[in-house]
Amino acid sequence: MGFFDRLFNRDKHKDECDCGCKEHEKKVVDVKEPVVTKEAKAEAKAAKAEAKAEAKAAKAEAKATKAEPAPAESTNPLDAYPLLPGAPPGGKIKLAIYWAAGCGGCDVSLLDTDERILTIGDMADIVMWPIAADGKEKDIAAMKDQEITVSIINGAVRNTENEHMAKLLRQKSLLVVSYGTCACFGGSPSLANLIPGGKEELLDYVYTKCGSMKDFQDKQSKPVIPQTSVMTADGEITIPMLYDVVKSLDQVIDVDYSIPGCPPTQESIRHLLAAVAAFAYKGEALPPKGTMIGVTTKTLCEECHRKKEMRRITKIVEPHEIDVDPELCLMDQGILCLGPATVGGCGAKCTKVAQPCRGCYGPTKAVTELGSSIFTAIASLFPILENDPTCGEDEIIDIMSTVRDPLGYFYAFSMSKSLIKRSVVEKKGGQ
Amino acid sequence: MADFEPKIITFCCNWCSYAGADGAGVARLQMPTNFRVIRTMCSARVDPEHVLRALSKGADGVIILGCHPADCHYIGGNYRARRRIALLRMVLEQYGFDPKRLRLEWVSASEGEKFQNTMSSFVQTIKDLGPTPLKGVQ
Repeated sequence: MGFFDRLFNRDKHKDECDCGCKEHEKKVVDVKEPVVTKEAKAEAKAAKAEAKAEAKAAKAEAKATKAEPAPAESTNPLDAYPLLPGAPPGGKIKLAIYWAAGCGGCDVSLLDTDERILTIGDMADIVMWPIAADGKEKDIAAMKDQEITVSIINGAVRNTENEHMAKLLRQKSLLVVSYGTCACFGGSPSLANLIPGGKEELLDYVYTKCGSMKDFQDKQSKPVIPQTSVMTADGEITIPMLYDVVKSLDQVIDVDYSIPGCPPTQESIRHLLAAVAAFAYKGEALPPKGTMIGVTTKTLCEECHRKKEMRRITKIVEPHEIDVDPELCLMDQGILCLGPATVGGCGAKCTKVAQPCRGCYGPTKAVTELGSSIFTAIASLFPILENDPTCGEDEIIDIMSTVRDPLGYFYAFSMSKSLIKRSVVEKKGGQ
Repeated sequence: MADFEPKIITFCCNWCSYAGADGAGVARLQMPTNFRVIRTMCSARVDPEHVLRALSKGADGVIILGCHPADCHYIGGNYRARRRIALLRMVLEQYGFDPKRLRLEWVSASEGEKFQNTMSSFVQTIKDLGPTPLKGVQ
């Protein structure tokens, strides 16, 4: 059933509702409830602090709702939730969305709320959203502290502007949501931490070594690299300064909730929207601080449909090199999959279509970092050989060298949150 | 750097190497005192995370000691460990560490002398390499 089919079905359902179905009645009652947002905020804050158990119960309830079978006419779980019922009783809430060092996919994924997107404008004023709305930095700076209800920040922090905006939004917001893998774990941008020369080497490569810059650089008397500040006839022009080390959002500011995923799933966005809407309309307590939205407690393997036969890896292959068996575990087929170390919650979308998990959901709670957790699993999958008791360490290194670029592969999404975090340079000869 | 005294983390397996280290102590074998021993049930119990954590906290070197191949109390633990450590050495090299900062050796319960020699040579290796490149970076 496609998007438009659902949309039309929704209209049909609404018509039925006008005849007085239970769901619609409840909705009307919800709107009538007189709640002042400010009071609700304070109430919610107090509730958040004192009644953890309550929040837990709410969470359990949410889980139960999740487990409930979808309505008979549709298989989409989102259809169980109505459109947002106009403006909240206490006035619209304020919503800010910021794009730091990321690809923009997270911004697009935020639209993934189906037809509910049409009514989000009724619930919230979007005070900032660089990709879609007009709010500027000075508008945010002019606001009172904690005036914004929710700030959703996607992308890692890799330059002065990212850090400044993250800190500004933190100051002006009641809640900050770290949205997407880059914000939560550094994501792909954090692989730049592995460049030994840091930002100098990076800028030098991009602006002077890259083939596409050759024509331009050949015309200059000396290599031209962007400067953070330039004086012109009209005054000083500045651009943000790059950092040597890309950080995740929570390494720079205090974060209330995290939603991992590259990009986060529709399901996670639904949970966030449901929590914010319940808060805006009914003043319900928000989930406890530090909640990871949309993740399970177990690894991806728990939700992957593939069968494990505990075969050993003798040769590592890429999915395009073999005819991938649709039912057998990818590791059993020699494809390196990060599922055993990655936390579940995404519904194993990649492994369903014969692509290995790349670890965008981050590690489970039991470990600190994803990379070392997956080495342990993968190294154990190499078979013990006949000559193992007698062979030397060089032979073992040869065997393990079949794993190409282990650092880049195992930490593809989580370098900022790894234990070492960045490349290092040995001082030869002991200083 | 003559006055550089490295900090070294040593993981010893419970069944062979820890007893070997004990033996070295009982026999009063002389060796440098730059290492701290952590006893694990098996060399395979040493998660790469333990090694990376030691390095991130400022250890200059990490050495893992286990039972000789074919001698593991748990049959195959040391075979797993050596594969993991080989992979970890590749990763450390990619980070920019000298892979010599991580070593895996086999020391049996009766090899107090081997423990002494291994530790002396490892401490010397790390002294030659100098302080961890992470010093002052993180």
